[in-house]
Formats: sequence, C-alpha cells, structure tokens
Amino acid sequence: MSAALSLSSVGKIYQAKSGPVQALDGIDFSIGEGEFLSILGPSGCGKSTLLSLASGLEFPTSGNVALSGKPITHAVTDIGIVFQTDVLLEWRRVLDNVMIQPQIRGLDMKLYEQKARDLLALVGLTGFEDKYPHELSGGMRQRVSICRALIHDPPLLLMDEPFGALDALTREQMVMELHLLWLRTRKSVMFVTHDIQEAILLAQRVLVMTPRPGRIAEIVEVDLPFPRKPETMETRRFVELVAHVRHLFERHGVLKKY
Amino acid sequence: MKTRWRIPGSLDGLLVGAIIVVLWEVGVRVGNVPNYLLPPPSAIAQRMVQDIGSILYHTAATTLEVMIGFALAIIVSIPLAAALAQMRTVERMLYPVLVASQTIPKVAIAPLLVVWFGFGLAPKVLIAFLICFFPIVVDSLIGFRSAPKEVSWLARSMGTTRWQNFINFQIPAALPHIFAGVKVASTLAIVGAIVGEFVAADRGLGYQLIVANGALDVTLSFTVLVVLSLLGVLLYALVDMVERWALPWHVSQRAIEGDGR
Repeated sequence: MSAALSLSSVGKIYQAKSGPVQALDGIDFSIGEGEFLSILGPSGCGKSTLLSLASGLEFPTSGNVALSGKPITHAVTDIGIVFQTDVLLEWRRVLDNVMIQPQIRGLDMKLYEQKARDLLALVGLTGFEDKYPHELSGGMRQRVSICRALIHDPPLLLMDEPFGALDALTREQMVMELHLLWLRTRKSVMFVTHDIQEAILLAQRVLVMTPRPGRIAEIVEVDLPFPRKPETMETRRFVELVAHVRHLFERHGVLKKY
Repeated sequence: MKTRWRIPGSLDGLLVGAIIVVLWEVGVRVGNVPNYLLPPPSAIAQRMVQDIGSILYHTAATTLEVMIGFALAIIVSIPLAAALAQMRTVERMLYPVLVASQTIPKVAIAPLLVVWFGFGLAPKVLIAFLICFFPIVVDSLIGFRSAPKEVSWLARSMGTTRWQNFINFQIPAALPHIFAGVKVASTLAIVGAIVGEFVAADRGLGYQLIVANGALDVTLSFTVLVVLSLLGVLLYALVDMVERWALPWHVSQRAIEGDGR
C-alpha cells in the first residue's frame, strides 16, 4: 500500500520576535491509501502547522513531506479541505458552492454538476441545491463544505476540526455521517480534532500529539469493527481506548490528574 | 391568540413623516407663527405648485452635477480600492495621503476650485466627487480585504490564479461593503453639489436657496430644502434598489425582509 501522505522526521521552527519557536519536532507518520487517521491533541500542539504542511502552504524546516510519494514543493491542489468554519460563499447557492471547484479547475461542468448533485444527495441535501447558505443550518452548511472538498475526487481529504463549531447533538450525528461517507468513498483522511471520542470513533489510527514542541506521543491503533455506530462508544474496547489516550495526556501533563 | 393588526413595515417611514408634517402644520397654525419665520407645509406645497417651472429647472441643474460627481466617484473609487487591496506596499504609501486629503474640509476648498475651474459645471461636479470619494474607497477597501484566511487557503487549494481569486472571491465578498460606502456617498453627493453652488453659480437648487434667502423668501427656502431632501431620498432609494437586485443573498436585506413579512 503506497502512502497518500507521508512525513519523515519533520521539524518546523517559526521565527518569532522573542526568538525561534519549535512548533513541530521529529514528526514521522504516513497516511495509507484509503486510511482514516485522526490527529488528536490540545491547542498549541502544532495540528494547524501539520495541515499547512500537508497542503503545501508552509514547508518544513527539516525533514520531508510527500503526497502520493512526491515531495511537496508548492501549494497542493490535489487535496480537499474542510475547515472548522464551513467557509461557504454566501453569494452562491448550495450547488454553485460545490461547483466552484470544477469551475476554477476548468473541469467539465455538465459531468461535475451531476456529481455534485449525487454528493449532495449522499449527505442528505437533496432539494437544497438552490438554497443560499444562510437558509441552511450549521450542520447542513458543513455538509455542503464536505461535498465541496470531495467533488474533484482528491486522493487526500484534510479536515481541521470540522465539527468544532457545531452543537453537541448535531456533532454526534455529523460524526456518524462522515463515517458512513468514508466507508462508501474510502478516501484517505487526515482528521484533526481535540475530541478524544470523535478521534477514536472515526479513525483506524489515532495520532496523539503533545504540545510545545509538537511531538507524537503515540500512534494508537483503533481495532474496533466497522461499521461503527453510536453504540460503539458503549463497548468495552472503546472505553479502554479512550482511557488509554487520556492516560497518555495525563502522563504528558496535558490533562491534570485528579 | 389574537393576531394584532400591523402596519406594513415598508410604510413605517412614511407614517412618521406624515405625523411630522401634521404636527408642523397644526403647530404653525395654532401658535400663529408668521410665514417669514416658519411657513406651514401647506404653504410650501402651494409654493411648489406655483413655482414648479423654476424649481424643476434648478433641480435638473443640481441633479446633473450630483449624478456626474457621484458616478465619477464610483468609477474612480472602487477600482482604486481594488488595486490598493492587491498591493500592501502601495496601500501603505497612498492611504495616509488619502486620509490627510480627507481632513481638508471640502467647503474650504470650494472657492479655490471655482478659481481654477470657473463658474460652470466642473467645480460643482468636482466637489461632489471629492466628498463622495472617500467613504467609497474606505468601505470598498475593507470589503476587498474582508475574506477570512480560510477562503484564501481554500482558493489556493483549488489552484486559483490571482484573477480568478479576484473575480470569484474578492469581488462578491466586497460588494456589501461597497454598497454601504456608496449609500453614504449618495447622500453626501448632494451636499457637495450644493456647497459648490453656494460659492458661485447661476443655476441649481443651492443657487435658488441663496437667492431666496437674500430676498427673505423663507417659504421658497423651505420649498427648496424639501426638494433637496426628496432628491437625496430618491438617490438613496436608487442605490438601495440596485443593491437588492445585485445582492439577493446579502445579510442586511435578510433582516429587513424578515422584519417586513
């Protein structure tokens, strides 16, 4: 299996006014083709830096970042990005928001319009194609932005706390829908979050990070069966995994012990 | 629950206007205020009908100055703001100059413009232009800069060219801000033209106002003031209509529509 994304001994140092700041140190991991990898850590652990590295907006101070085997040298266009905010374009209708990708990329609009409609149907947005974003709920908006990230069929999907701005109930539902979507499309996904349960429920592996400088504490294999359901969170194995990650954070001083 | 009868939202403004007019009329009549101090609305209306020919003539002159100055300001300000938004360095160099130029009162340079450009159309148009220019530039610049960093990140992940970025992301995001600036400018344009006419003119509502004041014809002064404010309201409404047509998705309109229905 070739890696969709691979980082080898990556370090990143920012030059701040007070001197150099080490954001990442000794980062070594890869995301296999079709793999769902969660990156879990507190704020300040360099999660955002990882995303900028993976999308070619920034480059490592040391080490290498490669996408499908090729080193990243400029802004990557072969990815889909979902942000914490949906970043929908308010002046475009739902369908047009998804269609901006093929439009900018100069792809066959007819072909991709059908694809966009299919994708929107897949996330349960049939009938909303001609609505403006302001007419949708927060969860629906984020679903549109997921469709926009998938329409051009990128080999890698980057998700930056995509459900962080949603309320807890919508969030749980969106997690399950993302899971089903992933089972169907089998994209490689790098899913950044600070929610332990969310990270474990969705992923095949969870990369646990500790802050200042951002280091990998452990890569946890999630051996829970597919498809995962909300009930999965009640299983013994799930609870064990959550406890394991929490202990990791406690050991590294991210969480306080009581 | 009983549904209460409500006045349609669009008539709220008219209603308040009507109440003011009635209070004014009644107050003047009851208080026996002489016409040379404060004429009642009925007298103003009468005068408007009586002098309609000259009023229309002067209104046309002022409208022409306002429209040219206003249009010029739009044509110059928006592209300038768009250009400044692309080039940080140029903005840093030009913006202080713009702000400094704006601190000079237009009223103070109006006589100078008359010296330079004569008594005709040019100085009035120029003052209207100068007074409109700044709010449009400032608001447009904010607009062209309003996209959050995620949008530019998204744009880069699609491999947009600068031009695509400008057309697809910057301009639409800027439009609500641009319209805000243009709305402010639409009311200022008339002020500019009138200031120009005050200094030197042989036609226009500002000229008519000066003449009426000189003759202590207070009723005519008020008539001109009413026409001026009508002109302002019309211009503002025109901009508002264009905005509604151009930005059906825009937030501020959503609020107004939601309130009215």
